Amino acid sequence: MRRAVLLVLGIPFVGAAAALLYNWSAVACDVAIGVGFLALLSGWVIIGRNWHSWGYAERADDLLVTHGAMFKKLVVVPYGRMQLVDVEAGPVERLFGVVKVKLHTAAATTDARVLGLVPEDAVALRDRLRALGEARAAGL
Amino acid sequence: MAEQPPDLEGVTHRLHPLTPVAYAGRVIGLVLAFVILGHLDTSNSSGQASGTSAGQATLVTVSILGALTVITLLRGTVALMTTQYGLEAGEFRIDSGLLQRQSKRVRLDRLQSVDVIQPLTARVLGLAELRLSTAGTERASLRVRYIAYGHAQALRAELLGRSAGIGPGVAEAPEHPLITIQPGSLLAAVLLELVSWRVLLLLAGPALAVAAANASSGPHPAATGVGIGLFVYGLFIVAHFIWRRVTTLWDFTVAESPDGLRIRRGLLATSAQTVPFDRIQALYLHQPMLFRPFGWALVRMNVAGYVGREVSEQTVLLPVAPRAFAEWLVSRVVGVDVAQVAVTRPPRRARFRAPLWWRAEGTGSDEGIFVTRHGVFSRSIEAVPHQRTQSVHMTAGPWSRALGLASVHLDSTRGPVKIRARFRDAHEARRILDLQAERARQARRRASAPAPLPNGAPLPDGTALSTVADGGAGGTGPTP
Repeated sequence: MRRAVLLVLGIPFVGAAAALLYNWSAVACDVAIGVGFLALLSGWVIIGRNWHSWGYAERADDLLVTHGAMFKKLVVVPYGRMQLVDVEAGPVERLFGVVKVKLHTAAATTDARVLGLVPEDAVALRDRLRALGEARAAGL
Repeated sequence: MAEQPPDLEGVTHRLHPLTPVAYAGRVIGLVLAFVILGHLDTSNSSGQASGTSAGQATLVTVSILGALTVITLLRGTVALMTTQYGLEAGEFRIDSGLLQRQSKRVRLDRLQSVDVIQPLTARVLGLAELRLSTAGTERASLRVRYIAYGHAQALRAELLGRSAGIGPGVAEAPEHPLITIQPGSLLAAVLLELVSWRVLLLLAGPALAVAAANASSGPHPAATGVGIGLFVYGLFIVAHFIWRRVTTLWDFTVAESPDGLRIRRGLLATSAQTVPFDRIQALYLHQPMLFRPFGWALVRMNVAGYVGREVSEQTVLLPVAPRAFAEWLVSRVVGVDVAQVAVTRPPRRARFRAPLWWRAEGTGSDEGIFVTRHGVFSRSIEAVPHQRTQSVHMTAGPWSRALGLASVHLDSTRGPVKIRARFRDAHEARRILDLQAERARQARRRASAPAPLPNGAPLPDGTALSTVADGGAGGTGPTP
């Protein structure tokens, strides 16, 4: 999804930059195209690495969520601490037919999201989490 | 002082008749100030040519203030006429609103703290606001304003007693004062706490910039003017901060009662917070740079439901005290001697990530609490009981990962305390993460076992307070 966004936004940008520079000097135009192509390629690779880094695991008493290729993060959310579970989709996500599941606890700093799920999976996950949360609910 | 325990079950109560006056208190103060000032003004300039325009200006101000007074009085009257509160099956209920009726409920077993607050006008009238905090979002605090002060105290005792499971009909629990902060110490503490890099920069920044500009390319009247303006603005901010701190934390008293910790404070508006021990989510003991020569420390806490405008004062558990007392108080709250918990440093290679301050970082834990410490100049110690941790997470940026380091964060409810074990060895961090998750799980199990909910069905925390707009919501609607 992000790759598609990258290409959709990136290629016209590089093209426009090259066209502007063409009036000034043909060499600058070639350089701009080269740099733009490299940037797009590295963006492509970084997005791929980032995409691969997302993961979650449902354990007996808590949910493990991990993400980040450069800045790694691993979150442990006990089912008993979950206050609510959201299923959300932004405009771009809707375009690609994916949703994200968000977990909230009483702590604002809990950043537990599972991205890029198919809606059916997301709803199933939410229902499972909710059931587990109710079974293990703990006071504050 | 306190009245008889109020009869609450099933009986609906109403607000105090003087409520509208208390609502309008601040505006009435403004009006009085303007009238007095206006009077002085007219007596000085005795009917000159500018008299008419000045008169018009006064007229406009007076009419605006008059309108404000009427609006606030009306708001207060509506509140007085429409608000009812009472207890119902383990829930405190308050119904209010004229056009859009709403009914708020707090389950008493989810109560986080009970505060009795008296703004200046309310204090003059002998009224008080009762504020109940529950875990949850911004709307989570429920306010009953205004009721008679004695009644508020009795109600507080009743609610806290029921919340703790002691049962109805409890008189105000006896309290045992622990410490009172003298005005001199408070003022010194507020001033010394201010001396930090940030404030110095705020004040010295404009001066330095102007000096540099003048030195490099001759005198710049405009730049100098702007610099002076910024400096004065900085001074104003600092002065406002000091005023606010000193007046809200004035006569700060911490007392212990069976209900929990009771914190009384305030010069003009007074406040008495009661926080049960097990509702304090996390604590930190902080020694700003200039507290250390005096051996002082301050303590702040996270309490669920303390959010909003006054949070920086509400979360103060101790504005200043000898360090030994602060340590004792923290230990008293968490139930473990904090100083006894062994703390270890990050590995030596962390100096490449945090050159000077890696030595000051420390982490340790025992069966009951998790402790971190940090800070080279200003030092602090954070403590969180295992059963209060919400979730645990671990982070590592590129530079840390190259060094094989990672940080573990324990997520607590919103508040000033952040618990971070930084720059640990990556494997150790993972062990800490797993250990804390496991310990928190066991602690929750222990804590939740002997506390069955009164209504049988366990509810997730988020349902502690529900707002129901009226409209025939299955018998839960208010009965006017």
